[in-house]
Amino acid sequence: MASRYDRAITVFSPDGHLFQVEYAQEAVKKGSTAVGIRGTNIVVLGVEKKSVAKLQDERTVRKICALDDHVCMAFAGLTADARVVINRARVECQSHKLTVEDPVTVEYITRFIATLKQKYTQSNGRRPFGISALIVGFDDDGIPRLYQTDPSGTYHAWKANAIGRSAKTVREFLEKNYTEDAIADDDEAIKLAIRALLEVVQSGGKNIELAIIRRNQPLKVNCVSKKKKKKNEKKNFKMRLG
Amino acid sequence: MAATFFGEVVKAPCRAGTEDEDEEEEGRRETPEDREVRRQLARKREVRLLRRQTKTSLEVSLLEKYPCSKFIIAIGNNAVAFLSSFVTNSGVWEEVGCAKLWNEWCRTTDTIHLSPTEAFCVFYHLKSNPSVFLCQCSCYVAEDQQYQWLEKVFGSCPRKNMQITILTSRHVTEYKTSESTGSLPSPFLKALKTQNFRDPVCCSLLEQPNIVHDLPAAVLSYCQVWKIPAVLYLCYTDVMKLDLITVEAFKPILSSRTFKGLVKNIPQSTEMLKKLMTTNEIQSNIYT
Repeated sequence: MASRYDRAITVFSPDGHLFQVEYAQEAVKKGSTAVGIRGTNIVVLGVEKKSVAKLQDERTVRKICALDDHVCMAFAGLTADARVVINRARVECQSHKLTVEDPVTVEYITRFIATLKQKYTQSNGRRPFGISALIVGFDDDGIPRLYQTDPSGTYHAWKANAIGRSAKTVREFLEKNYTEDAIADDDEAIKLAIRALLEVVQSGGKNIELAIIRRNQPLKVNCVSKKKKKKNEKKNFKMRLG
Repeated sequence: MAATFFGEVVKAPCRAGTEDEDEEEEGRRETPEDREVRRQLARKREVRLLRRQTKTSLEVSLLEKYPCSKFIIAIGNNAVAFLSSFVTNSGVWEEVGCAKLWNEWCRTTDTIHLSPTEAFCVFYHLKSNPSVFLCQCSCYVAEDQQYQWLEKVFGSCPRKNMQITILTSRHVTEYKTSESTGSLPSPFLKALKTQNFRDPVCCSLLEQPNIVHDLPAAVLSYCQVWKIPAVLYLCYTDVMKLDLITVEAFKPILSSRTFKGLVKNIPQSTEMLKKLMTTNEIQSNIYT
């Protein structure tokens, strides 16, 4: 039955499914994991950095992108689709600043991205964007925000969430370990993001990349690598500036 | 006939048959060229079972030559990785033969001279207990080749006093359930067994209307017909390529009777598995 209703995006199936949107959500699961945590005074985005080919320039493989000085986004899914969405969002941030002389709120830019994605689920001949995004930042009022969008064009605010491959496992970890105490301290919030990613990240030279925004401070992107001190000791984590 | 939104006209399938069937049949009589093409294609698609050292074909079926009491078959890259890390590393296994075949899904173009590195189904037995057999099958065996594979491995009259365990994986979107696939705890394990299989299974049974496909289905059907106790452990996953979490989802079966004594060092096996993952990673820039 699915095969007759999944060719054109604008067709509902008899039981109310938009199969292209659901298939786009499968494409998101093919991307590596990204986790977002909203702390009391900090927002953290952590991604599993995919290992690059030997001859490939590492700097061009980016999963975390700044949309503006105070807003940052991580995505999972089709790389090319993400590039298009990020470019549009960046232009919108500047356009908004020029027009109303205020930087965008995190909710505004999330709504813009979600509306853009929704348009592509209702147009003839176009397929949906195959990405989910985690958008973090601080608004002018100093309140930290974390939003998640998906290919259908919905967006929601979250305290902590994960997208991409094995997102369910990471989300279950966060549900168990996200407490008010855990996020009260900035370092604890960062450690929670790292621990959540380590539930699913494969070891052996793989790195984790973090983006941190503290209140009234600019975005920082760090690289974390696992280092084994001794075979029998617990693994230690060293933060290096990437 | 039906028209789609783009204006293309699509012929609706009709189970009653088409009206011009008789006319078509007249033009379809087989010529000698057709017969020759068919013969060549059959030769190309033949399943060959080769001995290890001499690389000559086996005259009898594999299990007739090497009778076994326990046969574990891994089909697909995740199941093969699971056996490589947890089972073949825990004992001394000797290769007894391999099955070579060609079909449209194969990457090689040369069908006659398949190189030694292209063994698709490799058979091993445990040196300390040669009645324990293992098969690692990482290729796709097409529908027309499955019967040949079964005949060459099991033979036309198999023994009944052996137990077969099959491991394979499938994409979770093929799992039919009233829940949405987003809420399923993938990867998860399901089991399907033949009537003669009496041991307890390590996970819940596969519910209707789900079905099993390809070689695992062929082996299980064969075992059901010949009254051989067999069980299939099917891992539904949302990552079809080689993936650590999918392979680890097979771990519950290590506690079953089949694997007792075969797995010795689990932490070391987990390390082996992680190494296997990193060496096998295929670089793709489409998804980030």
